[in-house]
Amino acid sequence: MGDYVWFHDVSWHATYAIYFFVIGICAGLSFLSYGTWRTEALRPLREKAAWGSFALLVVGGLLLIGDLSQPLRFFNILNPAFLNFTSPLAWGALNIVAFGIASVLYLAALRQGNEVRGKLLATIAALLALGLPIYTGYDLTVHQSRPVWNTPVMPVLFVALAVASGSAVGAILAGANQAAQKLLREYMLWSTGAVGVILISILGTTNYGGAAQELTFMLMTTGTMGLIFVGIGVVAGTAAPIALLLAPFGRQQMGAVLAGVLVLAGGAALRYALLMGPQQLQTLY
Amino acid sequence: MSEELRVSPIETREMPGKRRFAMVVDTRRCIGCMACQVACKAEYDTPLGVNRTWVPYKVVGKYPNVKKQFLPRLCNHCDDPPCVRNCPVGATYKHEDGGFVLQRYERCIGCRSCMAACPYNARFMLPSHRTYTPITNVVDKCTFCFHRVTQNLVPACVQTCIGRARVFGDLNDPTSEVSYLVAKNATQVLRPEEGTKPHVFYIGADRNQTEFGRDAYRKPEVMELERSAFKRHFDI
Ligand code: SF4
Ligand code: SF4
Repeated sequence: MGDYVWFHDVSWHATYAIYFFVIGICAGLSFLSYGTWRTEALRPLREKAAWGSFALLVVGGLLLIGDLSQPLRFFNILNPAFLNFTSPLAWGALNIVAFGIASVLYLAALRQGNEVRGKLLATIAALLALGLPIYTGYDLTVHQSRPVWNTPVMPVLFVALAVASGSAVGAILAGANQAAQKLLREYMLWSTGAVGVILISILGTTNYGGAAQELTFMLMTTGTMGLIFVGIGVVAGTAAPIALLLAPFGRQQMGAVLAGVLVLAGGAALRYALLMGPQQLQTLY
Repeated sequence: MSEELRVSPIETREMPGKRRFAMVVDTRRCIGCMACQVACKAEYDTPLGVNRTWVPYKVVGKYPNVKKQFLPRLCNHCDDPPCVRNCPVGATYKHEDGGFVLQRYERCIGCRSCMAACPYNARFMLPSHRTYTPITNVVDKCTFCFHRVTQNLVPACVQTCIGRARVFGDLNDPTSEVSYLVAKNATQVLRPEEGTKPHVFYIGADRNQTEFGRDAYRKPEVMELERSAFKRHFDI
C-alpha cells in the first residue's frame, strides 16, 4: 500500500458504553417500579426496582462525570448561562438531574408508605426515565457523518434495550414469584423481539448505504467487533433468549433467569459494538 | 423558500457587512514538505501525537509512473458546524465576524461531543502534560490563527508554505485572492455531502483522497495492528 494513513483517536471510549448499559437498566427498573402500581403481580418488585434504579443512576452519573476530561467542570453543564439546547447532551444532563430528584422523592414516599404521592412520583420518575434511553439514542443519532449512529431508530432501539435489560434484572430479582415471572417473561420477549427487528433494519440499511456505510457494516460484522456484535449481541443476546423464552423451559424460573442473563450480556455487547464500531472507520479519515 | 430561510442562522458566507475567512489549498503546488505542520506546532506548542494541521498523502499510479498526492488537512471552519451545535456548554462557538470556529478552553468540560460530531477529525483532546502551556485536558483544534489574523497577519501555516499552496483571506471580499481563486478554479471541499459547508477549498484534490481511502477495506485485524503501531509511536 505505502499510503500514509493518519490514525485518529476515537472520541468516545468504552466507559460511555458501560454508562449506556447502566443507565438503560436504571430506566428499565424505573419502568418496572411504575408497573407495580398498575399490575398487582409485580407488587413484590416495587421497592427493589426503585432502589436498584437509584443505585444505578448514581453509578451511571459517576461514570459519566469520570469520563469527562475535566470532571470538576460538570457543573458547567447545569449552568443556564452556558447551556446550549441544540446539544442532546444538555437535554440529557437536565433529564438525569430531574430523574435523580424524582427518584429521591419517590423513595422517600415509599419509605413513608404514602400511596398517593408514591403513585404520582412513580409516574413522573418513569416518564423522566423514558427520557434517559431516548437522549442516549439522540446522542448518537445527531452525528450526521457516522453510519449506524445517524439513524432515527437509535432512540427507539435504546428504549427497547432499556425495557429488555430492566425486565431481565426484574426476572432475576423476582425469584420464585410465578405471577411476576410470567409477566416479566412477556416483557422480555416483546422487547427483545423489538431489539431484533430494529437491529435487522439497521444492519440492512447500513449494508445498502454508501462507501462509509458499507465499510462500517464490514467492520461491525467481521473480526473481534463481529464476534461482539453479531456473536454476543445478536445471536447469544437477542436470538437465543427469544428462542429460550418461547421454549417450554423458558416458562420455568431457571429458564427465565437464564434468558435474563443472556439478554443482559447481549445488551452490554450491543451497546459496546454500537458505540465503538461506527467510530473505527472515522479514525482512518 | 426564501433565500434567508434556506441558510442556517449562524452562516456568515455572503452575509453583507461580515467577513468570512477561508483557506484555499492548491494541491498542485503542495510538495509535502510538512513545513506548515511544523510551523503550526511551533506556534501553538501542540503536543506530540496531536496536530492542528496535518498532511496525509496517497501514492497513486502504477510503478514506475507513481507520484505522491498530498492533502493538507485542518479544521474547515464550517459555515454550519456540527461541533458547535453539539457542544452542550457553548465552549465551541462561531465568531460572527470572520466565521472562525473557536474554543473557550476555560468552559470546555472535555465530553468530546464535538470530536464525535466533526466529520473531518479536526479536533483532538490535549494530553494532561504540555511543555510550556498550562491549557490541558480540553479539546483543541485549528483556529485559523485567530490571534494572528486579528493583527493583520496570515496564519502561521500560510506564512511558512514554501510552495504558496495555502492562501488565506476574506471570501466575502470580492477583491481578495481567495475569492478570485474560488471563482476561477474548480474547487473541492471535503465530504460536501455532510452539509457542513466547509471553508477550506482544495484545488486539484482527487475525489479518492477526499473520501474514505480504500485502505479501510483491509482486514480489521491488519488495521488494528497498524493502528497500535502508530499509537505506540505517537503516544506520550
Ligand atoms: S471541521 Fe470539524 S471542528 Fe472544524 S468547524 Fe467543521 S465540524 Fe467543527
Ligand atoms: S469537549 Fe468541550 S468543546 Fe467539545 S463538546 Fe464537550 S464541552 Fe464542548
